[in-house]
Amino acid sequence: MDTSHRPLVPISEGYERAPCGLLTTGIDGTILRVNDTFCRWTGFAAADLLDKRRIQDLLTMGGKVFHQTHWAPLLQMQRSVAEVKLEIRHRDGHKVPMLINAVRHIEDGAEYDDFACMLVMDRHKYEQELLLVRQQAQRALEEKTLAEEALRSADRRKDEFVATIAHELRNPLAPIQAAARLFGMQNFSDPQLAWSSRVLDRQSNQLARLVDDLLDISRVAEGKLEMKIEHVDLVGILRLASEAARGMMEAAGHTFLVDLPGRALFVEADPGRLTQIVGNLLTNATKYTPEGGTIKLSVRREEGNATIVVRDTGIGIASQDLASIFGIFAQLSSGQSRSQGGLGIGLSLVRALTERHGGRVDVTSEGMNKGSEFTVHLPLSPVQIDSRETTAMPASGVAGRLRVLIVDDSEDAALSLATLLDIDGHEARTASSGATALEVIPGFRPDVIVIDIGLPDMSGYDLARRAKESGAGSKTLLIALTGRSLMQDRQAAIEAGFQHFMTKPVDYETLLSVLI
Amino acid sequence: MSFLQRNNVHVSGAGDTTIVFAHGFGCDQNMWRLFVTDLSSRYRTVLFDLVGSGKSDLSLYDYDKYKTLQGYADDVLEIVAGCATSPVIYVGHSVSAMIGMLAAIRAPELFAANIMIGPSPSFMNDGSYIGGFDRSDIEDLLETLDNNYLGWSSNMAPAIMGAPDQPELAQELTNSFCRTDPDIARHFARVTFLADHRSDLVKVTTPTLIVQSNDDLLAPVAVGEFIHAAISGSTLATVDNVGHCPHLSAPGPCLEATEQFLQKLGL
Repeated sequence: MDTSHRPLVPISEGYERAPCGLLTTGIDGTILRVNDTFCRWTGFAAADLLDKRRIQDLLTMGGKVFHQTHWAPLLQMQRSVAEVKLEIRHRDGHKVPMLINAVRHIEDGAEYDDFACMLVMDRHKYEQELLLVRQQAQRALEEKTLAEEALRSADRRKDEFVATIAHELRNPLAPIQAAARLFGMQNFSDPQLAWSSRVLDRQSNQLARLVDDLLDISRVAEGKLEMKIEHVDLVGILRLASEAARGMMEAAGHTFLVDLPGRALFVEADPGRLTQIVGNLLTNATKYTPEGGTIKLSVRREEGNATIVVRDTGIGIASQDLASIFGIFAQLSSGQSRSQGGLGIGLSLVRALTERHGGRVDVTSEGMNKGSEFTVHLPLSPVQIDSRETTAMPASGVAGRLRVLIVDDSEDAALSLATLLDIDGHEARTASSGATALEVIPGFRPDVIVIDIGLPDMSGYDLARRAKESGAGSKTLLIALTGRSLMQDRQAAIEAGFQHFMTKPVDYETLLSVLI
Repeated sequence: MSFLQRNNVHVSGAGDTTIVFAHGFGCDQNMWRLFVTDLSSRYRTVLFDLVGSGKSDLSLYDYDKYKTLQGYADDVLEIVAGCATSPVIYVGHSVSAMIGMLAAIRAPELFAANIMIGPSPSFMNDGSYIGGFDRSDIEDLLETLDNNYLGWSSNMAPAIMGAPDQPELAQELTNSFCRTDPDIARHFARVTFLADHRSDLVKVTTPTLIVQSNDDLLAPVAVGEFIHAAISGSTLATVDNVGHCPHLSAPGPCLEATEQFLQKLGL
């Protein structure tokens, strides 16, 4: 059908029925011309609008403010505005969302604004939806942030609590262990007493190990774990650790196989922490292997790593537990683990310590009652020779019968230590404050002074300095005791003239080794 | 001087006396284009954007600092102290009239005159005080802002048309004028329209001119009279203008009132 010659309706009619609302206003907004479409959409007759209303009068209150703060200045400065979305008040009161374009122009010296308005019902609903979703997302994000912060804060408080608990438990443990040791030295004729003494000794030592683990795990959590990295022979350390574990293995009736190479494997590591890693794995194996099992410790060289393997014939690990076994407080879901005791932190400590050495720990098990195999991979040192300098240690050791002054405000701790020293043939005295110690020193002339850093009347560092001034000779061995084991404490102790630094509770054997 | 970038400060013009211009809610310093031209031959002019508007550093929009107009007033004090060596003439539109007033109350020695264009100490109706708005109106405004900022949000293409018959309006202007981060705009709208500084008016010691439109939805004539009555020694100049931006739509009468006022002060 040829439509090219059919005449179109006059322009004015096209204006009236255009598929958009059209208006012309003066620059104060007074409506001077409006088309039928706009009138139909807004419910007004043209006569209601022309010269009677300004376009801003048709807006909602928010729209009127927006018109003043945004639209009018834009139109003034740019002489055109596009895609402003406003709601026009229908004559009957309801709001009609419209998208509006406007252009300002000059006609015969007078300025006018032309408007084109489109209905945007669906788009408006869609945008409302978008806004709602955006607000919901915002709220969800805020809630998530708050929840995360609360979790982190709870986690921090938990770490602090664990650290506090561990510190607080350590203090009474020292005198308990010392007292247990004293009992152990007696020849009880009553077998019940002898048995009680052994229980006391064994259990207090076990308690001390648990507290140490707890303290270490809290240090890991708080990022305060200290490492004293040295160039050390891993094979030597494993040999010592296996010797230390042999008693425990035999007591449990296990066969303990140790397969170590004849030559050294050097790693850059903290020897104490390596011992702890292996010790924990061996203890773990002993604990979870029924009596009469076989436990094997071996090490082999694998490319750039030393691979330590601890294998047992124990209760094994269900496959669903393998992934979480190294998590803190993780224990087996089987429910068997509880009966074995423990805090469930030994393996998580093994992992943390191994990772601090740049290593990795794995576990495999073929399932329940099929044994487990723990593997620790440690990077080998690039230097595979013994590069340690054998520096002459300062002559700290003093031999024979020693006069030892123990300065500690915890009387139980001081007295029990003094009693142990007395039994071993030394002469020990105690002082519960710095002032008392300073009174005792000139007459007693101690060879060794053991000083608790946290004294009630002065710091242990001050006491050390003043002790030297008040007659303690240059040969006097000064040993610092502290509840914490922080690097700055060590540094302060060295600066104050201490030759040794020990954390509480004092391990009596270690103390003896320093004295001799 | 961090405030130079923070507030997108522009200094120009020549003269011994400095005029600082502060735009109102909605737009930015470009609002002053028509008004400043006449004054810049005799005065040093300082234009800036409130933080959160125009080309200010949006990253410095601190929701806590700018939860009251005093936060903006503190910025004004930094700008005035940093840009002028003698007391300044401050010209503030709408909410910025109050911001300038708060700044001058805090440090009157820095201000020689305060010219308030379309000021309102409180937009909210309160008993016999007719600010012009109720709380629901403000909620309605926030909704309108939301409706528009969907299209105007900063990561969408500029929605404002260029102005082919106004070549002096650079492209950058058409892109940024009246646009800002939607969340900031919401916050600023709330702070602006819920602020109430009626009780501060009596503390003013700076010579003050109130330029009042005879038909202004946001600042009705009664509000201008209220301010005039409260600020002792103030001058009220009513100009024949429809709308809240007489410096744009009636720059002539506004300038005339301003110059008369400054002349009387010998500025």
